[in-house]
Formats: sequence, structure tokens, C-alpha cells
Amino acid sequence: MKNKLTLTDILVTIIIALIFSVIYKLWGPLYSTVAVFGLHIDQLIYGMWFMAATVAFLIIRKPGIALLAELAAAQGEFMFGGQWGVTLLVYGFFQGLGCEIIFALFRYKNYRLFVTCLAGIAAGIGSLFIDAFYSYIPDLALWNLTLLIVARLVGAILITGVFAYYLVEALEKTGVTKLVRPVSSQDYQALEDEAK
Amino acid sequence: MQLDFSFQQTWLHKTNPAFKFLLMLILFIGMLFIHNPNFLIIFMVGAWIMYLGYTGHSFFNLLLFASPFLLIFITSSISMILFGEGQTTWFQFGLIHVTEESFYRGLHLGMRSMIFGLLGLLFALTTRPVLLFYSLMQQFKLKPKFAYSFMAAVRILPIMLEEFQSLRHALKVRGVTYQKGVKGFYQKLQQYVIPLLAQSIRRAHRIAVAMEAKKFSGDQQRTYYYKLQIGKYDLYFTLLLISWVSITFYLTNFISIIPIDHVRSTN
Repeated sequence: MKNKLTLTDILVTIIIALIFSVIYKLWGPLYSTVAVFGLHIDQLIYGMWFMAATVAFLIIRKPGIALLAELAAAQGEFMFGGQWGVTLLVYGFFQGLGCEIIFALFRYKNYRLFVTCLAGIAAGIGSLFIDAFYSYIPDLALWNLTLLIVARLVGAILITGVFAYYLVEALEKTGVTKLVRPVSSQDYQALEDEAK
Repeated sequence: MQLDFSFQQTWLHKTNPAFKFLLMLILFIGMLFIHNPNFLIIFMVGAWIMYLGYTGHSFFNLLLFASPFLLIFITSSISMILFGEGQTTWFQFGLIHVTEESFYRGLHLGMRSMIFGLLGLLFALTTRPVLLFYSLMQQFKLKPKFAYSFMAAVRILPIMLEEFQSLRHALKVRGVTYQKGVKGFYQKLQQYVIPLLAQSIRRAHRIAVAMEAKKFSGDQQRTYYYKLQIGKYDLYFTLLLISWVSITFYLTNFISIIPIDHVRSTN
């Protein structure tokens, strides 16, 4: 039962998610201030909202973590009175699902920067999918829509992908990730080598 | 300024949290298929009445909580107003192209955000988070390990805040100075975010081990300290929502503030 989520996995994921939900809550006003101009500069920092998923997955490395983290972060933001209300959860679900699909495509065994960036893009696509219904983005002028999509995906790659990756890399140095990751075949190998 | 956040219980506090949550979600999905801005205007009036009248919080605080909504209204609508597609041009300057259609569509989006902001606050102000998770477990079969993890995690947040304070004081005592620009940001990240995250993961791990020992992870039949049911107040709330939506539909036939009843561009 290596891949089933234990209570430890869930609690650690939710803690990470809640830390992010506090950041998300603070991110809202910042995002809104940048957004007043309507030129989608705000979209460059949109990627922050996908970050819980990639960070939690890179730390715990189990199936289902990305989706759970993103949902929990959305739920947290909702409970702290986030300005978008119940909308948050629907977005959170699709963003987390986007990340989850990418990690699943690599069978949850690839933790490289490249995959993390892909997950960011998938989360971005997830959010754009809802935006098509909720914000009518297909009705924007074509250049403006293109700008929105490009800005959001670039932001997603930079924040959700690159930033999350290096954040977790820095965390690895503290040794804390060893507590929560499932044992890998390398760990068994190390034990056997030691026994010899 | 001293803020007083005390409030009175209203009947909305007595509704089942998970059920209320489900109704909100259904409302959200339903709203995605409403393209008539007049409907939203009338519905929004109702949302304001609910928000101001039935949360039990003081009028001043309610206005304070609602203050970001103006900004949300603007940000949700502005890019559609300025750059949306449409036929009847009102104003054109460079890239900016305001048309009748895009203007109303923008207003529509703004109102939609505001309605969900209001309903979200209405929910947050009338629901105790702990009860939400208890009712999710009891009425919607959420696995206890998720619910209890979430409740434990909420309690860890204040500890983190304290930790953040002592970290800041410690760094101050040591006389740490920050560089400017990106380097300074990176430095702060290393000195604050990494230790805070690492510590809370360690703490979460310890708590989880303790919780597992106490069988919070068990999925079998268990008893609950708070027992929640779906009761008469939930019936009232459901009836209220149904009549609210139908009255709004009815009034939309007579009241037409915006001379358009479908905001999507026809293509």
C-alpha cells in the first residue's frame, strides 16, 4: 500500500495548502490592484494560485496530492472570506486536476523542473476553461484574449513551475522532506549497501 | 481604532453548513447559464439584503468586509468593457474599443463577481468552520482523516504566526540587513519562508503521528462530538433560495434597466 494517502500525507498537504491559502488571500488585493488597467498585467502573477499543488506534490510525491492541495487551499481561502466566494472551489478543483493529470502522465515518478512547468501550464488551462464560462473570455478582442492566455501561462510557468521547484529544492536541504516522502527504491538500495 | 467583531446568531447560523455549501455550489453552476444582466441586477439587490440583514454582524463591519467588492467589480469588468468584442461602437482610442455589447457584458461580469463575493461572505460569516467539517463527515460521507486533518491544520496557523514573529525578532537582534531588489527578496525568502515551511511540516508530521495513534485515520463507524442534521432551517433556506430565484425571474420580465437581455456576442 505504498501509494495510498495516509493521515500524515493528508495533514502535511493541508498544512502546506493552508499556508498558501493565507498567501492567496493576501494575493487577491494585490492582483486586483494590478488588474485595474485591464491589460492583463495581473495575469503574470496569476500563477501563484496554482502553486500549492506543485509545491505539495514535489514534497510528498504521491498521487492525489496536487488535487487535494489545490482544493484545500481554495477551501481555506473561501473560509477566510476570500473575495471570490464559492467560485474559488470550482477554480481550485480544475486547476488541481490540471496539475494532477500532468503528474499522472509521468506516472508520478518524474519530479523535474520540466514536468513542474508543464503542470503549471495545465493548471493554467484548467483555470482558462472555467474562465470561458464564468468570465466570457472568448468574447474578448482576439489580441486581448491572446495576451491574457500568454500572460497567464507565462506566469504559471515562472511561479507554479520554476519558483515552486526551487522552493522545494531549498526545502530539501533542510532534510524535512525525508520525513514525509515515501521510501524509494534508492533508499532500499542504500540500506542493502550498508548491510554488506 | 478598536473593532468590535461580536455578532448575534441568526437563523442562518442554524442551517446545516454542508447543505448550505451544496446550495451555494448549485447556485454557482446555475449562474453560469444566466446571460441576462437585468436578472443579475435584481438578484444582486436580494444578495445585498441577505448580506446586510441576516448575518447578525453590525452594519459598520459588514460594510468594512464588503469594501473590496468595489475593486472586484471594476477588475472583473474592466478588460471586457475596454477590449471586448461588439458591433455598436461607443468610443474608440488606440487599442481601447468600447462597444455597447462589451460594456454591458463587462457590467454583467462585474455583478456576477459581486454576487458571489457577497454570498461567499454570507456563508463565511454564518458558518463555523468546525461545524462545516463535522457536517461534511456526517451528511456527505467525507472521510474523517480529511476532515480532522483540515481542522488540525487550521489550528497550526496561529502557531506559525507566532513563529514568524520570533523569527523576525531573532533576525532583528542579530542585526540582519536586507539587500535591495530581487536579491533582497531572495534573501528574505531564504530566511523566512524556508524555516517556516520546514518547521510546520515537521510539526504537522508529529501531530499526524499522534493523531494516527488515536485512530483519527480510521474510516469505520465513529461517534461525533457535534451531531448535525438537516433540519427545518435548511428547508427554510432552500425555500428562500427557490423563491428568491423565481421572484427574480418573474421581475426580470417587467423591469428592464439595461436594454439588452443577452450579453454574449452571437457568433
